[in-house]
Amino acid sequence: MPLDSEDEILQDFLVEADEILEGLNEQLVELESQPQNSELLNSIFRGFHTIKGGAGFLNLDAMVALCHKGEDVFNILRQGDRVVDAEMMDTFLKVIDILNAMFEETKSGQFPSPADPATLSHLGTYLESEDAVAVVVTPEPAALSKPNQVPDSEDITDDEFEALLNQLHGDGAPGIKIPALEKAPVSPKSNDDITEEEFEALLDELQGKKKAAAALVPEPTPIMADSEVLPVAVTTIAKVDLAAKPAPAAKQTETSVRVDTARLDDIMNMVGELVLVRNRITTLEGTNDNEEMAKAVNNLAAVTADLQNAVMKTRMQPIKKVFGRFPRVVRDLARSLKKDINLELQGEETDLDKNLVEALADPLIHLIRNAVDHGIEMPNVREKAGKSRQGQIVLSAAQEGDHILLTISDDGAGMDANILRQKAVEKGMMDEEAALRLNDSESYALIFAPGFSMKEKISDISGRGVGMDVVKTSISKLNGIIEITSEIGIGTTLSIKVPLTLAIMPTLMVMLGNQIFAFPLVNVHEIFHLDLTKTNLVDGQRTIMVRQKTLPLFYLRKWLASTFIPSDKPEIEHVVIVNVGTQRVGFVVDQLIGQEEVVIKPLGALLQGTKGLAGATITGDGHISLILDFPELMNTYANRGY
Amino acid sequence: MSPVRVLIVDDSEFFCRRISEIITSDPRLELVGLAHDGQQAIEQVINLKPDVISMDIEMPVMDGISAVRIIMSRYPTPILMLSTWTTEHAKTTFEALEAGAIDYMPKRFQDISSDKNMAQQQLCQRLYDLAIHSPKKYLSRLASPASVQVSDLTKSTAANRSNLDNISLVAIGTSTGGPVALQKILVQLPANFPYPILLIQHMPAAFTPSFAKRLNMQCQITIKHAVDGDKLYPGIAYLAPGGMQMLLKGTKDSPIIEIQAGQAGQTYKPSIDLTLESISKLCPAQTLAIILTGMGADGREGCKKLRLLGASIWAQDKQSSTIYGMPMAIAKAGLADKILSMTDIGHHLVRLR
Repeated sequence: MPLDSEDEILQDFLVEADEILEGLNEQLVELESQPQNSELLNSIFRGFHTIKGGAGFLNLDAMVALCHKGEDVFNILRQGDRVVDAEMMDTFLKVIDILNAMFEETKSGQFPSPADPATLSHLGTYLESEDAVAVVVTPEPAALSKPNQVPDSEDITDDEFEALLNQLHGDGAPGIKIPALEKAPVSPKSNDDITEEEFEALLDELQGKKKAAAALVPEPTPIMADSEVLPVAVTTIAKVDLAAKPAPAAKQTETSVRVDTARLDDIMNMVGELVLVRNRITTLEGTNDNEEMAKAVNNLAAVTADLQNAVMKTRMQPIKKVFGRFPRVVRDLARSLKKDINLELQGEETDLDKNLVEALADPLIHLIRNAVDHGIEMPNVREKAGKSRQGQIVLSAAQEGDHILLTISDDGAGMDANILRQKAVEKGMMDEEAALRLNDSESYALIFAPGFSMKEKISDISGRGVGMDVVKTSISKLNGIIEITSEIGIGTTLSIKVPLTLAIMPTLMVMLGNQIFAFPLVNVHEIFHLDLTKTNLVDGQRTIMVRQKTLPLFYLRKWLASTFIPSDKPEIEHVVIVNVGTQRVGFVVDQLIGQEEVVIKPLGALLQGTKGLAGATITGDGHISLILDFPELMNTYANRGY
Repeated sequence: MSPVRVLIVDDSEFFCRRISEIITSDPRLELVGLAHDGQQAIEQVINLKPDVISMDIEMPVMDGISAVRIIMSRYPTPILMLSTWTTEHAKTTFEALEAGAIDYMPKRFQDISSDKNMAQQQLCQRLYDLAIHSPKKYLSRLASPASVQVSDLTKSTAANRSNLDNISLVAIGTSTGGPVALQKILVQLPANFPYPILLIQHMPAAFTPSFAKRLNMQCQITIKHAVDGDKLYPGIAYLAPGGMQMLLKGTKDSPIIEIQAGQAGQTYKPSIDLTLESISKLCPAQTLAIILTGMGADGREGCKKLRLLGASIWAQDKQSSTIYGMPMAIAKAGLADKILSMTDIGHHLVRLR
């Protein structure tokens, strides 16, 4: 019988279990460095336990069996009867992989197939030490002096209770000594009871610290990337029954509504349309002097902006979703390469659009693998270079205005620009002269060229020369840019900038001939007026000097509006400097219109697949404008790989 | 009647939702709050004063057992543990019961019924019963030493008519609240207690071996998980295996325990009635049957037969019963020779020798 993958309960389970599974992955890697951490052991135990519970509810027997074993092993581990070693660790990670595979099966609507019995029985061997303590009761001859082990009291002492209450307020607050209790005489009777007043005092204290207590309430379930459904956190008051509610705490009852992503996409789309209409009305209003109208339009603009933000937020999920996989990736890779590497994650809580989170996963994995494989040196090499044996890789995410900055930095060997140039010549990608003209950052950018691999030997980790160019392409597709800085012996840093969302794009509107085009604003670096007489021809390529940097210059009109012949030839032209991947390029445009937020619409069937165009949009004045895709544009027209 | 107010404690959002769904489907129950760990549970108990709590065991920050202990000592509330019904997890369930939880249900509903709806109804029923049948009076008494009170029913029942001198067998049957009651009673018995004891505790099969082991460690008498063919020795208590029926066979002079597989139609496995009936065919006049706390009326029919044939019957009193159901059935049917508190049952048993 196939599973109903649409079933809400199943989806619910997948969302929660997915999250736990990801946590398990991280926790296991963490456990390797601190095998005795009981907090971790408990938490891993509970992870297996909870998945097992849910799987049991849904009759996913294979999953139950595996988690059950995992739970038992960790039960022993948390009781300190056994300590994790590297071999066990490998087994656990294998178990996680199997569980992941089971999840995939479950997601696709199949009952998970049973785990390979070898793994199960291998897990079982960890339990053997406990099996010795048999559960069988042998009828001993009635012993005369059996210890009386009845727990002495079901009650906790006042001290314990106070400690607990203190804990409730938030740990380690020494100021929470309750005066009433301190004054209370130590009663000679059984100390199980505290007086009503004392207890009331404790409670008052407790109520007074609601805020601290509220911190205990877990955040709404984080949104899962792999699931087709985003839970949207909505706080509701369960049932309003005033008479029965002595305290407002019932409002804590939190619940979320699960919304199909397709529906969110629809809403986003409609908001996009609304933005367009707003743009249109704002433009129309500019030609009108009616003050009332102006007010209303301003209002509309504000509300639309809020709505747009709100809808965007519902689609946001923390980048942790992607980052969470990396500790395991780094751990496995480092182990197979016999390197010692510590991965530090920063800014895991940074939110970005769900689609972006998914789209970033693969490129980031490539870059992380690359840092582990090429960046960090072998421990003894590091030692010789006077560095610590353990390499550091820092992966960070942060929001900067309307884009997200992701950086991956390692403290490894760094890149040697000269070797890269040499390699480029060897590979026949350019002649020696051209190679020598590349500055350092241009040389680093060579690693993104197709077929460029620095590794002599091809491993399954990296070095096949695919990958890095794929990374660049996927980042470019997201309207993102990559920058590399590196210093020999110190390390390498890759920075990736991507817009917060893909649906609504801030653009720079320009005119080419009598047509409007939109440049994605994330690509635009600077705009200036240029005296065209100050350009040079190098190798048949027109270039300009901008602050001692030579940039290629192109007349965009010649590519995109070639039928338009300007009546006069101005001496001063507008130049827009654009970041394309890792490069900067200047484009001459006829007119600059301004900045506008646009909604990308796919091109019509006629224009579908036209190189260099990302889509189209409707501008504020009702015209249609084409949105440029610079990497494609350069590839198509400039005959150069960018 | 206003609905029973339920607090759900579970760290799994998934389970919270499932249990909420089940609870809200029953008009007699009202969900008043959720807590995701033991500390939140205590807070919610203080704030919401629920009528009954469904409690998970494994939770971060503070586990369910610690939470039960604290709640029971400060804000006694009927607690139903949702636990895993496996041998390995039996221990935690017993700990929860000793901490003051009244009853337990499996987290995996298939363990009680293959019919999911039926299982869910049972959960609702259990929560409802716990809220209705456990008087706060009893619960608050848990925190303070038990005061012995003789209920009115004692006076109405027949005077102690039977002769306890020719007793040769004690049979104790119990259900909800039984694990703790049995422990409290059996722990008082000396190692040289002169009679064999048959224990019939309603309990799932996965739990009875651990329960026997646990009692055996706590008590001076020996507690044994009964197996087919066991002969009866004085000072040994034989616990009926879960999912099975424990019958007394053989002859009056050398009785032997027979363990039969439970049948599909049987409500209770083990059933107190079935054990008592088998005794009634062998040595009724030499038997003392004791019915302790529990829901329902299992044991009443068995006691009826036994008493006609000269057995002595004791029932636990209302005040000390976690659930005054089975003992009440005995008392109402006028079968009880003695109605005693939990502590007194122990005292009286010790005096038997």
